[in-house]
Amino acid sequence: MIGPIVRKEILENFLSLRFILSLILVVIVFAISGFVFVRKYEQQVQDYSKDTNQSLAYFQGHAERLYWIATLSHRFYRKPKALTLCAEGFEKSIPNCFSFNAFSRDYPEIKGRTNALLSGFNDVDWVFIISLFLSFAALVLAYNSCCGEKENGTLRLILAGSIPRHKVLLGKYLALMFMVGVPLLLGLLVNLIIATLSKDVAFARGEWVKFFSIIILSLLYLSVFVLLGMFISSRTSRSVSSMVILLFLWVGLVIVVPSSGRIVAKTLRKVPTQAEMNRRVTEMKEQWQKDLLAGKYGQNAGSTSPNPEECNPPARARAYTALTEQNNKMIDEHMNQIIDQVAIGRRFIRISPTAIYRQACETIAGTGIGRFSELRRQIIRYQADLKDYIRSRDAEDPNSLHLLYDEMFTAQMWRTISHHPVDFDSVPKFQERDLGIGESLRLAIWDIGVLALFNLVFFAGAFVSFLRYDVR
Amino acid sequence: MIWKIAKKEFLLNLMTFKFAVGVIVCMVLMAVFMPVLVSDYQQHLKDYNENVTANEAELRKVKVYKNITPTVYRPPNVLSVFSKGVDDQIDNSEKIDIDQVSEIGMTISETNTLLSVFPALDVTLIFKIVVSILALLMAYDVISGEKEQGTLKLLLTGMLSRHQVLLGKLVAGWMTLLVPVTAAFLVGLLALLPSRMVSLTGAQWFYIVLMYFACLAFTVAMFNLGLLLSCLSKSSATSLVFGLFLWLFLTALLPNSSAYVASQFGSIDSPDEISGKLQAVTEASKSEIDELTKDIKKDGSETVSNALGAFGHTYSVLCNKSEMDYRRKVYTVTEPIEIKYGDKLLTVKEMHTNGLIRQKQLAETIAAVSPIALYENVMSILAGTDSEGFKRFRDNLRAYRNKVVDYIRSETENFTSTSYFTPSQEGDYERVIEEYYKPFLEAKDKEKNAELYKAAVARYEQILKETPSLGLQDFPKFTNRPPSITGTLREVIPKLGLLVVAGVLFFSLSYAAFLRYDVR
Repeated sequence: MIGPIVRKEILENFLSLRFILSLILVVIVFAISGFVFVRKYEQQVQDYSKDTNQSLAYFQGHAERLYWIATLSHRFYRKPKALTLCAEGFEKSIPNCFSFNAFSRDYPEIKGRTNALLSGFNDVDWVFIISLFLSFAALVLAYNSCCGEKENGTLRLILAGSIPRHKVLLGKYLALMFMVGVPLLLGLLVNLIIATLSKDVAFARGEWVKFFSIIILSLLYLSVFVLLGMFISSRTSRSVSSMVILLFLWVGLVIVVPSSGRIVAKTLRKVPTQAEMNRRVTEMKEQWQKDLLAGKYGQNAGSTSPNPEECNPPARARAYTALTEQNNKMIDEHMNQIIDQVAIGRRFIRISPTAIYRQACETIAGTGIGRFSELRRQIIRYQADLKDYIRSRDAEDPNSLHLLYDEMFTAQMWRTISHHPVDFDSVPKFQERDLGIGESLRLAIWDIGVLALFNLVFFAGAFVSFLRYDVR
Repeated sequence: MIWKIAKKEFLLNLMTFKFAVGVIVCMVLMAVFMPVLVSDYQQHLKDYNENVTANEAELRKVKVYKNITPTVYRPPNVLSVFSKGVDDQIDNSEKIDIDQVSEIGMTISETNTLLSVFPALDVTLIFKIVVSILALLMAYDVISGEKEQGTLKLLLTGMLSRHQVLLGKLVAGWMTLLVPVTAAFLVGLLALLPSRMVSLTGAQWFYIVLMYFACLAFTVAMFNLGLLLSCLSKSSATSLVFGLFLWLFLTALLPNSSAYVASQFGSIDSPDEISGKLQAVTEASKSEIDELTKDIKKDGSETVSNALGAFGHTYSVLCNKSEMDYRRKVYTVTEPIEIKYGDKLLTVKEMHTNGLIRQKQLAETIAAVSPIALYENVMSILAGTDSEGFKRFRDNLRAYRNKVVDYIRSETENFTSTSYFTPSQEGDYERVIEEYYKPFLEAKDKEKNAELYKAAVARYEQILKETPSLGLQDFPKFTNRPPSITGTLREVIPKLGLLVVAGVLFFSLSYAAFLRYDVR
């Protein structure tokens, strides 16, 4: 019995102005998004190849000796991802360049053609279109699903028959989902066709699975707004009232709450400024120098004389290891505070289904803040691997002092690290590891669960309200 | 007659559900977010004050002029609570160094760029979203709704002319929207004024009044747009749907697309091009210095002892005579060249920054088709948080750098004084060597040697403690001059004018459409 209701609802809405406008707008925006993505991605791939090749050539050019490999700082650039087509994850505002050697790491930086003055603008990706345009379209399609029929007097006619109320509600829900699903799927199809026609864009099989997961997630998200629309519609007797309430709810959930993340994060978690960090680093270095002079690391630790009687390499190694560790610790702690600050804001805005949906899509696509944090972890692991490699190669050199610390000058003068030539191919190289679909879904499972809960709550609300709805 | 229609419509509007919801939402959002925005400003101000104090403390520690590299901070603007503009997106500090510029690029710690994952929240956002929706909701059925109810033909069958009806409805709409705009503004000001560390100057009060008028002009423009759609459609549902999709297009799609278009057409130098230009300047400087210093020879060995000084730089605690003479000669030649090329480096950086600003301004020009983007722009100009404000800060920085250079130049007699690189006087080094270092080297006994080493270290530490700082009481202070009122007005009036013109245009079109409107 649901079938005829669904059919009736679809036929009623199919030629309506709101559906046609939604369809045209969404498909056009998806097409624009496809073209923009292709141009941007081609440029990003080009820049990335150039930067990475330069960085690798530099590393290779200086990798003749083991101590160079240990102490030379080299750069790693974040690889452009085809999945930013779905969820760009504000990557333009997230550092993409990491500088490190086997011992130390620096603050990551934003390098490239990014204009920080334009960072307030969003990228028009799938998540942007769906979270903003299609959620809006879902409300515009659903706002009078119950109260509109009541105003027209058709609701009592329908319910005068033998159809139970829950079937009417379910029929309306399925029809609305179909009406929202058509522009979504058509838009995505156009977008994917444009993207795949580009010679630079190639999607791996795993990425197609991620696309599919994001599409399912998008339907789940849109279902929240359809059910919200039906819920409010079945709580009001006039469609104008329903529209007013829904519009302000939409503004709150889609715009105001996600925007409040920054201010909430800054209010709840204070992060030291760069100037403050600079002061702390200076204080730490001053203290370190005092300790060096006071002989905390051993006599003559401060001396860099070539005369063996005037210097103490093991003491200097202890001093420099302590300095490097303290420096790394300060940077890591500061970075963790910065990431925590953002995480607090992101957790707070999870009261909005839009924020949940965006974060879940970023997790599945492997973009955004999550990717940045994961990259940092991978780099720290890689530094440990590189250090192990240097230690093992250094052990083969009987002339080396086997003192691994971050000072090229004394490494060269005293041979604290081996000067043996190195086969560049045998040096471990850093490669970003992408999370598989299983791992990504596992990380996004809470967000997906909360979105499902939103659906359940609004459906229950709509169901109860509609069962008690006065159709007169 | 117009006033009678306006009064009737106004009273009817006041009783509507949408009006009640709109007013409550505006006031609640202001009441909730304004204190948070103010607290954010207070935190910025506290950080700024701490940074300035720390900078001054470092200046007091300076022992040689070469170490003077103060960092300059842009003071936060209290009006940023109304419009954040580009304030949170850029680094508002710069290190002043006579021969270097900071690298182009942004480390995450300068300003937590990760926070850009959240859109900025300010008073402008609340107005541009909530008030514009309310304006459309108040206007969408002004004509088409009356037509649907059949009251429009009744109205027009009487003595009333069409323009009287339209003007009456227009005035009523404006009066209705005046209530939430004024109420929200008052709530915002009530939350702002009693706050700690907030004091407004006369100019800032003037800008707040202008912001209020900009909000009114924007609200009127959005109402008139809704009125136009109402006059163009036969049913209120059609005008509502059109209005809402148009609103979505103007709020979300147009500004974001404009950023992309601007980044495609307003080209900026690629990172390679910039680093190439900077490298060329650096190499030119190096070769000129090499050429001019090749004949300067050192008469004796380098005997200096470095210590960590102010601003994280080291300085030569002690210098022997030959080293002093050598450095004096070198710095007299190299520093003017370093300053000249430092200026050139700064010019390259400024050209890049100006490119970024041009790109941003192009995006704003494209988005100016939308009254929403225009309003946002007007608010950021009045708050002093637009890209021009950032440019002014950069210009002030350059002027300040020149002042610092002139100061160091005059204090060191054009870099000829030893105070530029060492606080020690001629003979200090030789005396210390004679008294402490030589006996230490000559001692054969291990215990004696250790004792002498300790004495040498203690003497060295005493010298470090006793070395006086330069004082720098008359060191130039940085002031980020705010724009003059006339300058701001010159910038804001064309944009505010466009907003008014948009309102007038929408009304004129509404009038033309209503004259031909079929009321049956």
